[in-house]
Amino acid sequence: MRYVLSRIGLFVLTLWAAVTLNFILPRLMPGSPLDAALAKLAASGQQVTNAQRTALESELGSPHGTVLSQYWDYLGNMVTLNFGHSYTDPTRTVGGSIARALPWTLILVGVTTIIAFVVGTLLGVWAGWRRGTKADTTVTMGATFFASFPPFWLGLLLLYVFAFKLKWFAIKGGYSEGLTPNWSPSFISDAMQHSVLPGITLALTALSGWVFGMRNNMINTAGEDYVTFAEANGLKQRTIALRYAARNAILPNVTAFGLSLGAVLGGSVLVEGVFSYPGLGHLLFEAVTNHDYPLMQALFLVLTVGMLTAIFIVDLLYARIDPRVVRT
Amino acid sequence: MIRTSVIRTVAAAVALALGVTACAGADQNSGNSSGKPSSVLTIQGDAGDPTLTENFNPYSSTQLEGTRLIYEPLEVPSSVNGSYTPFLATGSTVVNPTTIKYTLRSGVKWSDGKPFSAADVVFSFNLLKKFPPLDTTGVWAQLKTVTSSGNTVTMTLQKPNVPFAATLAQVPIVPQHLWQSVKDPTKFTNTKPVGTGPFELDKFAPTQYMEKKNGSYWRAGTIAPTEVKFPAQSSNQSTNQLDVTSGKFDWSYNYLPNVQKTFVSKDSHNKYWFPPGGTIGLFLNLTKAPYNDANFRLGISYALNRSTIAQKAVNGYTGAASLSGLVLPNLKADLDPSLPNQGMVTQNTDQAMAAFNKAGYTLQGGKLEKAGKQASITLSMPNNFTDWVAAATEVKAELAKVGVAVTLDEPQYAQYEKQIGAGTFDAAMGGFGGSGNPYTDFNNALNSKYAAPINTATVNNFERFKSPTVDSALAKLAAATGQSAQQQATYQLEQFMYHQQPIVLLYYGGSWGLFSDKNFTGWPSASDPYMLPTTYNNAMLVVVTHLRKA
Amino acid sequence: MSILQTVEQPAETPSSIPGPRRTSLPGPIQFLGRAFATVWSNGKARIGLSLLGLFILIALLAPLISPDSPTSTDYTPYEGPSGAHWFGTTGNGQDVFSQFLYGARVSLLVGLIAGFGATFIAATLGLIAGYRPGVVDNVLSFITNLALVLPGIPLMIILAAYLSSHSVWTIVLVVALTAWATGSRVIRSQAITLRTRDFVTSAQFSGERLGRVVFREILPNMTSLVAASFFAAATAAVMAEASLEFLGLGNPATISWGTILYQAQQQNALLTGQWLMIFAPGLAIALLALSFTLINFGVDALSNPRLREK
Repeated sequence: MRYVLSRIGLFVLTLWAAVTLNFILPRLMPGSPLDAALAKLAASGQQVTNAQRTALESELGSPHGTVLSQYWDYLGNMVTLNFGHSYTDPTRTVGGSIARALPWTLILVGVTTIIAFVVGTLLGVWAGWRRGTKADTTVTMGATFFASFPPFWLGLLLLYVFAFKLKWFAIKGGYSEGLTPNWSPSFISDAMQHSVLPGITLALTALSGWVFGMRNNMINTAGEDYVTFAEANGLKQRTIALRYAARNAILPNVTAFGLSLGAVLGGSVLVEGVFSYPGLGHLLFEAVTNHDYPLMQALFLVLTVGMLTAIFIVDLLYARIDPRVVRT
Repeated sequence: MIRTSVIRTVAAAVALALGVTACAGADQNSGNSSGKPSSVLTIQGDAGDPTLTENFNPYSSTQLEGTRLIYEPLEVPSSVNGSYTPFLATGSTVVNPTTIKYTLRSGVKWSDGKPFSAADVVFSFNLLKKFPPLDTTGVWAQLKTVTSSGNTVTMTLQKPNVPFAATLAQVPIVPQHLWQSVKDPTKFTNTKPVGTGPFELDKFAPTQYMEKKNGSYWRAGTIAPTEVKFPAQSSNQSTNQLDVTSGKFDWSYNYLPNVQKTFVSKDSHNKYWFPPGGTIGLFLNLTKAPYNDANFRLGISYALNRSTIAQKAVNGYTGAASLSGLVLPNLKADLDPSLPNQGMVTQNTDQAMAAFNKAGYTLQGGKLEKAGKQASITLSMPNNFTDWVAAATEVKAELAKVGVAVTLDEPQYAQYEKQIGAGTFDAAMGGFGGSGNPYTDFNNALNSKYAAPINTATVNNFERFKSPTVDSALAKLAAATGQSAQQQATYQLEQFMYHQQPIVLLYYGGSWGLFSDKNFTGWPSASDPYMLPTTYNNAMLVVVTHLRKA
Repeated sequence: MSILQTVEQPAETPSSIPGPRRTSLPGPIQFLGRAFATVWSNGKARIGLSLLGLFILIALLAPLISPDSPTSTDYTPYEGPSGAHWFGTTGNGQDVFSQFLYGARVSLLVGLIAGFGATFIAATLGLIAGYRPGVVDNVLSFITNLALVLPGIPLMIILAAYLSSHSVWTIVLVVALTAWATGSRVIRSQAITLRTRDFVTSAQFSGERLGRVVFREILPNMTSLVAASFFAAATAAVMAEASLEFLGLGNPATISWGTILYQAQQQNALLTGQWLMIFAPGLAIALLALSFTLINFGVDALSNPRLREK
């Protein structure tokens, strides 16, 4: 119990530190939102005048007050989930932008992670049980090879072949232009179709973690007494593999879920960029290039809290699996 | 959670299987996929990443570009040569250097059926006065009063500034009967726009909006498209380029490498026009030695091969710039005929050395030195402006040959903007001119009132040029009402640009118009250069109202 | 990714740790030689080592084997692959093949140095935390957890933007500062398991100093873990460098595989049909990352005999 309490304390402390870092980091960046807004204007080829600068200044409401008062306001807003207006587009609330993007990333990353987990774990069980065979080598080498691909590069190749050359999929976006997101079957199938390429990209590159985690755990459990005992009792190989070895091997693999989710989330920043997918990752990259502090902060917070919670759960599970950790 | 996830997994797998057969759906937006010409005009629209913001407030900096087809200004000057296309005004007269009078078109109606009147014009201008954030073009920095009488509107200026009419004429006019009840027009997103323009909003979806023809438009009979579609573009340039070549659009604005091969060859209807739209130059910080020495700048200028630079930077789509400061051929009517070779200068190392010598520099063992110190320049540009980076790389190579050491500094745009705004740079790549109006171009770049002290931000005159001669020439041009007086003052400024080179101009930046004449003709082109082919600003209104059915 | 699988290893498989080598610690060279032999005996690791060797050779010999200067802009831009330019030319008229060969240098440099930096931080913090329970462990674990929860790539993007100098060293620094946390966690948990072992406890009771216990008793027993986290960090570094440069956050004047990909994207090599300009550097990054991972198979087998190939 003391362990759990101290972990909860740590969780809150980490949350505070992460939130504070989120406040500090964006402010260390060079350039101001005003400059970034002017950059957007100039990049579109329009003339930028002093008059425009003044107009933008009053429209954007540059960050004001001392750093300390900004920090205080920031903490208050975090608690009340009030993220304010985006600097680059004052007509939009940060919360609204995130709310629009969140489902896309949740579905893309969620489905991808689950597919990678299921397929990867099964392949891992297979490879681990058939250790040393051709099947094992093919699976491990294949997974290693795909894991070595920079996700954005794999995305570019898939985009080139399947969207640009073969025209099987759309070049960009989460759904066809002109559609409004809704739950109708036609929209869902349209959105599914748009998510195939980014989904495959992320799943292929995320597969190997699961394959290896499971394969190694299988190899370790294969040597355990109960497996030897089962073998001695003449149980079928497949029954032993799935019912005894895999069941015990999967536990540690599940604890890697939180961390892996974070990795996929990170990878999705670039992949969503390549496919112009309307999710959080893409929004984050936009926010960073636009120096949109409120949007960046809120996005970091969402991603960070997500990962933090995942790791908190991993920690608790870890303590259950290895009671020695609690003894510290 | 797990249960629904499994369902989604299955659904995704089904979608994967369907993907191959369902792909035909990806083409459904194509405006010109059918055999017959369509009356729907498809323009590659605003960047909507990940989604568009529904904002049709014509005074907002984040308005959707389609707003240009809903609200009209009084007149629109051509970004090529400044000639006017009338919209809500039938014409204007410069009464004296501080008074401009507009005659309004009669019989114009708002799209809700209410008549348009001079009161709407006065209301719109006063709205900008009351809410300065809306005044993005700074009209009230020059204006004194706006009054109406009958169907004329008279504007008086604080100081003589005839060329400022170009800015005044382009202020969008909104209906008083609707906007007077808007509490805070600075935050107003105007999702049900009512305007006088040729189109009105039809449908808005997060990644595309459509406008339909306004049947009561004052010249509705001459408007060819029945509908205009604006699919959002990505913020990712490469994605947009791939999209363009897939033939989805009637009009898009995009730089394409090898345009003949990547675009023109894909469809016999595909056309492009890449006219010069401004001048890219080397901005040397004039508050620093030796850049404040005209001889040093001339030395740099003669040492450069501008055609090679243009070839490297923009694929040779546009060429070397005239050092007169005018974008040619767009403004050839304003060019001083006494300038040799239209103000073009060719690379000449001897002349470069002679100029450097006059500035006190000599070549010592391959290094250009003065008092034992090598001439060196740190040249800044945003790292994602690839054409500028390519040009700067070539400048660096060419200046190395005359012994000048150039270091390239490639920060992100925001950082670059900060540097040039505050004047904390040695040299920077930058854009000059391109408004279609010589006065605006010269005034923005050279007027000493913009030359803020170092560490005070400015958006114009980054190089911090100050010259009473130029200021008075600018004032003369601002007050000139007759053609000969205007010409005289413009010539004087061109001569100054050519001989002093406060900005070392390099090559023309292009304006990247890509068209399909399958559904519509009448696009701006080299033979009919009525407007730059930009899909933003009021060029949109002029071009779309100029189209004919194919 | 191989670092993930090791997270749970120590606790689950205590038998996997080689027995104590208290008295007969081999000389470093002998030790390295034996370790190399073990790694080499693994077929996958052999492929990895050969690949890595090939890349090192390319990097060293780049000036001799590349047909042109990688920066010379003397050729016709946007050329497709040809006899004169195997991988075509860039939009600025540079020879892509020469850039590709020279690019090996930056990727290797960033991978190895950033990997080393990250491992150094990971090992130092992990060992100290694992060996000093209580306040020290709590503070260090806290920092590690913090570094783990900050989303990696976004954090790198911000840091890269903040350190606006955009040299290769910026990227090395950014990667070293962001890629150590996982390794540190693994090393810490291994150190915790080792701490309670008899040979360590007895060393403590015999009054040996902390540093001595940590570096003589604990560290040698986790060489393979440290090596594994080095190769994992190096893999991450190679990927991160490519990602940052692809996003335009590197220095475009640097010749590296990441910048070739960035240029290819900027000049839209897909559109102009110069697919080799995208395919070749991406494959090279993948192969380099693959070589690190493959070497790690051998390294894992070093610590866990069950993973050794039969």
